[in-house]
Amino acid sequence: MGKELLVIKNLHASIGGKEILKGVNLVINEGEVHAIMGPNGAGKSTLSAVLTGNPAYEVTAGEVLLRGENLLAMEPEVRARAGVFLSFQYPVEIPGVSMTNFMRTALNEKRAYEGKEALTPKEFLTLMREKKKLLELPDKLNNRSVNEGFSGGEKKKNEIFQMAMLEPCLAILDETDSGLDIDALRIVAEGVNRLKTPQNASIVITHYQRLLDYIVPDYVHVLADGQIVKTGDKTLALELEEKGYEGIA
Amino acid sequence: MKVLHKGDIFEQVFINEPGVDLHIVQEAGSRVKIHIINLSSANNNIVIEQAGKGCETEIYALAYLHGEEQVTTETHVKHAVGGGRSNQLIKFVLDDNARGRFVGDLKIVPDAQQTEAHQTNRNLLLSETAEMRTQPQLEIYADDVQATHGASTGQLDESALFYMQQRGISKQKARQLLVNAFMKEVIESIPDTAVREQLLNTIDGVVE
Repeated sequence: MGKELLVIKNLHASIGGKEILKGVNLVINEGEVHAIMGPNGAGKSTLSAVLTGNPAYEVTAGEVLLRGENLLAMEPEVRARAGVFLSFQYPVEIPGVSMTNFMRTALNEKRAYEGKEALTPKEFLTLMREKKKLLELPDKLNNRSVNEGFSGGEKKKNEIFQMAMLEPCLAILDETDSGLDIDALRIVAEGVNRLKTPQNASIVITHYQRLLDYIVPDYVHVLADGQIVKTGDKTLALELEEKGYEGIA
Repeated sequence: MKVLHKGDIFEQVFINEPGVDLHIVQEAGSRVKIHIINLSSANNNIVIEQAGKGCETEIYALAYLHGEEQVTTETHVKHAVGGGRSNQLIKFVLDDNARGRFVGDLKIVPDAQQTEAHQTNRNLLLSETAEMRTQPQLEIYADDVQATHGASTGQLDESALFYMQQRGISKQKARQLLVNAFMKEVIESIPDTAVREQLLNTIDGVVE
């Protein structure tokens, strides 16, 4: 078993005064893939928002440690530089900011945080080209504005492409399978699998078993009404598919 | 008052002038293309009359203000003869207690058929205390024309800021990227590359 990467203890969080997370406990070790499943409104996306520091949510109790450090005390950008990555369910379009400019800024901020020198433009472009191949993304992407005019599939591939560039230690994939056809799903899942190392981990938030045929989890957790009510191995996902959430939780 | 004769071209970029005061009468086939960039207080008054057929008028204005700075830009564009074209793009970015005001007076007389006229005013407020006033005035008396106008004032997109922060970009840098993206449309329409580059550098300095 790998070292402890993320520890969530009794996490409570609310939005607009309404409590969504009601005491989540979870330990994730290096090298593990955890799937979080659950019905709509269970708090799956809230969990990813809280872990990444989305200012719309308020943490009312509990703690989260990333490699022993207080994650909740860090600004969103510091969490990102420390290696927490969110593949957004709805990636944001940013007109006028090119992918190249965006990605270079992000990568160099992370490198500065790690005490590394900024990449030269040439090194950066070589890296972009290499990582784009992984997701079968076209070269013309560089000059386009971030996510602007991208199809649903391209947006999700672009998320995983950014993940490949930033090499996070903890990747949270929030409904990455939603809106993907089977080919795009395969490419995205293969990308995620190839980025897996013994030192990093991922949280795969999904509604359906389908994605888990491609990204095989070590653990499956059922989140219902703001708490993890059941944990099992990958067979739990199949059981859920068969019996529905009501049959399990 | 300046008269542009047949086929004349008037093209100028005004950067940080305390005020641009222009009154131009365009005769047939003449062209006007002006850029007004203000990074500090100014009063601009642009009066254009298309008096001959087939004229083109392009007006671009960008103000990026901080502190107590104020800019007023007035444009008075009159299509007195048909078959002409005018396009205006006016942008303000206001931080701190800055004030912006745009008066856009666009007139197409009854006989000026087949005129194409566009006026767009977009403003970005970076603080709660910045203030923008927009007064578009359209007087269109001809029926066979293509005329559009739009005005909007908004703030930085919070979801875009968070998205960038989630990739490790500091909030300040993310703001800078979004502000530059907003201003780019005006700056990139400046024909002279050297002027454009110099301006982009200056603006980066202002934001940081």
